[in-house]
Amino acid sequence: MRQFKISRILIERGAENDSLAKRILRRLPNIPVENVEPHKRAPGEDIEGMDKMSLRIIHFRGEFLKPCPGTRRYMCCGYQILNVGINCPMECSYCFLQSYINQPSLRVFGNLEDKLNVIGEIIDSSPDRIFRIGTGEFTDSLSLDYLTGWSDFLLPFFSHRKNCILELKTKTSSIKPLIESRYRKGIIIAWSLNTPRIIAKEERRTASLRSRVLAARQCQEAGFVLGFHFDPLIHYPGWEEDYEEIVQLLERYIDPEPIIWISLGSLRYMPDLKWTIKGRFSGTDIFDGEFVRGLDGKFRYFKPIRVEMYAKLSERLKKWYDDLGVYLCMESDDIWGQSLGWSPGNSANLATYLDGRVRKLVGH
Amino acid sequence: MMEKKLLGSTLSDVAISDIDLRPGPFSMSFGFDLEPLKASIGRFGVLNSPYLLKGPDRKFIVVAGYRRLLAARELGWPDTACQIVPDTFPPFEALLLNLNDNLTHRQLNTIEKAMVLKRLTRCLKWEEIIKDFMSILGIPANRQTLEVFLGLEELEETIRVSLAAERLSLRVAGLMTGIGRDDRLRINDLFTTIKWSFNQQWEAAQMLIEIASREGRSIKELIDEKEIMEVLGNDGMNNPQKVKSVVKILKARRLPSLLEAEKLFKRGLARVSLPLGVRIIPPAFFEGIDYKLEIVFRKGQELREKLAVLSHLSGLEMVTDFWRGMEPR
Repeated sequence: MRQFKISRILIERGAENDSLAKRILRRLPNIPVENVEPHKRAPGEDIEGMDKMSLRIIHFRGEFLKPCPGTRRYMCCGYQILNVGINCPMECSYCFLQSYINQPSLRVFGNLEDKLNVIGEIIDSSPDRIFRIGTGEFTDSLSLDYLTGWSDFLLPFFSHRKNCILELKTKTSSIKPLIESRYRKGIIIAWSLNTPRIIAKEERRTASLRSRVLAARQCQEAGFVLGFHFDPLIHYPGWEEDYEEIVQLLERYIDPEPIIWISLGSLRYMPDLKWTIKGRFSGTDIFDGEFVRGLDGKFRYFKPIRVEMYAKLSERLKKWYDDLGVYLCMESDDIWGQSLGWSPGNSANLATYLDGRVRKLVGH
Repeated sequence: MMEKKLLGSTLSDVAISDIDLRPGPFSMSFGFDLEPLKASIGRFGVLNSPYLLKGPDRKFIVVAGYRRLLAARELGWPDTACQIVPDTFPPFEALLLNLNDNLTHRQLNTIEKAMVLKRLTRCLKWEEIIKDFMSILGIPANRQTLEVFLGLEELEETIRVSLAAERLSLRVAGLMTGIGRDDRLRINDLFTTIKWSFNQQWEAAQMLIEIASREGRSIKELIDEKEIMEVLGNDGMNNPQKVKSVVKILKARRLPSLLEAEKLFKRGLARVSLPLGVRIIPPAFFEGIDYKLEIVFRKGQELREKLAVLSHLSGLEMVTDFWRGMEPR
């Protein structure tokens, strides 16, 4: 399991007695600890480099469970985000957190475990609703698990509930705690996949494609339901062959039948993010494609390019297995129809479709 | 000799030859025309005494009044009355004195503001500069803008002159710090030999950088290509026409699929004989699905007539996403 280098622990005032803080201090006994004020930048917390070697433990006072913000005028899936922390130790050039959050250091919420009862009350108060919950929106679900022990308490908590699933989304191959746990039901382990070229150039410090797929296979063999996310798809000369390579790897190692879903989403960004990325990753060529301003103000590939990528990839996935739960992330009805040949028509129907996948694959 | 209480300076006649008239650590003058000041000083003398500090080599360093002293030298004055601040005068105070002196007299140009900020970085943390000085200089107080300003000093003199004269956009200059010398000089040349708006410069500079990255060529090579050079050298075109043509050439290279879609849409629409003053407008970048109809009319009667023509116009029902199914380029 890959362990990322942590050079100091910053504990915000109020988080000293949080259970997660105590656990991290036990697991990192020889790392310097500094007490810091909430919302105040600590000395040396560099916003440019994102200060990814400092681990800041925060006593989070916001809502732990929140709907995915989605985006205006495109269909969204009704996902719920479990806020476990912000930022991750990996360095993906395209990461939206660089301009969305604009806060340095690896931030984890010390009181998450202490607040699980609140989350439980929310879930239990709507027994007829299916909560699709994930921790991989603002951080990687597994990259800091060896320090935070998230999976130690999240797996039993969610596995016992009948109307929710927990999706752990990652670009790592750090699955040991999952395999060692005895909880499977309602837990989806999902990998974000990209081509070897994109991983090498744009997804620094992440696991290789092969390692991700092999880790997925191990999880599948251990009884977990899997999900995959081809997001962001990046268009470049030779993209088709490279994405084909991913599907071939999946074909070789993964049983398609118990896959709950595979999402496709193309690179999109707010205008300001482009210059932040260019400043931090001068060699990146992810912006070489033809981008136009979308209906929500974000830049996206010009429609025919997105349609071509989605159509070809989904067609290829269909050849592998025709019931993979392929869906598009943040796309319009029009693009759905042109690319996949069908459309849920609106966000509510998309949510219903994915809830159906949960019932079918998880059995809720 | 008179003594000033606050600064502790003393007024004294100083020989011009005893003053170091290179731009020193406190001066923030760039890209100025000395002639009006020379004319004024020639007629009325130096109205406000320059401030000097004794340097380590016994020559005086200019704290404030750099241009006045340059003018006096050019006018052939052997000496002039100056305020001499004590040897113990802190450099940061000298810098603030110069800044205040300048800000009360005139607008600093972009390069001069960059000089101020650069000098402040020697004494203060970035956070302090952002908080206390950027808004005084009339620039957005944030880290990114500060970075852009601090990068300007690395740019070549010709580019800095363009910036000071407001012929080159600051945002474009910010991009220039990330590209090679020949490329940025060529961009500067392109944007200053004919007049571009700053928005046009920004749009074109981004396209040039991205086309060069995409095609693996230098920006200079791109600009020097025949197609662009022909536009620039076309005497039959005025400046706005040239700018528009160059942008069009770049757009065709940067967004070939979008341009193809626009062509297909125009071609498709050409088959429908819309009445004069009637336009069908596609969604921006074809991203949405809603088209708009624009009817220009002067009187209700004219509108009724146009609507009548439209309601019977054959082919109108065929208007569609004419670009759909195209192969991206």
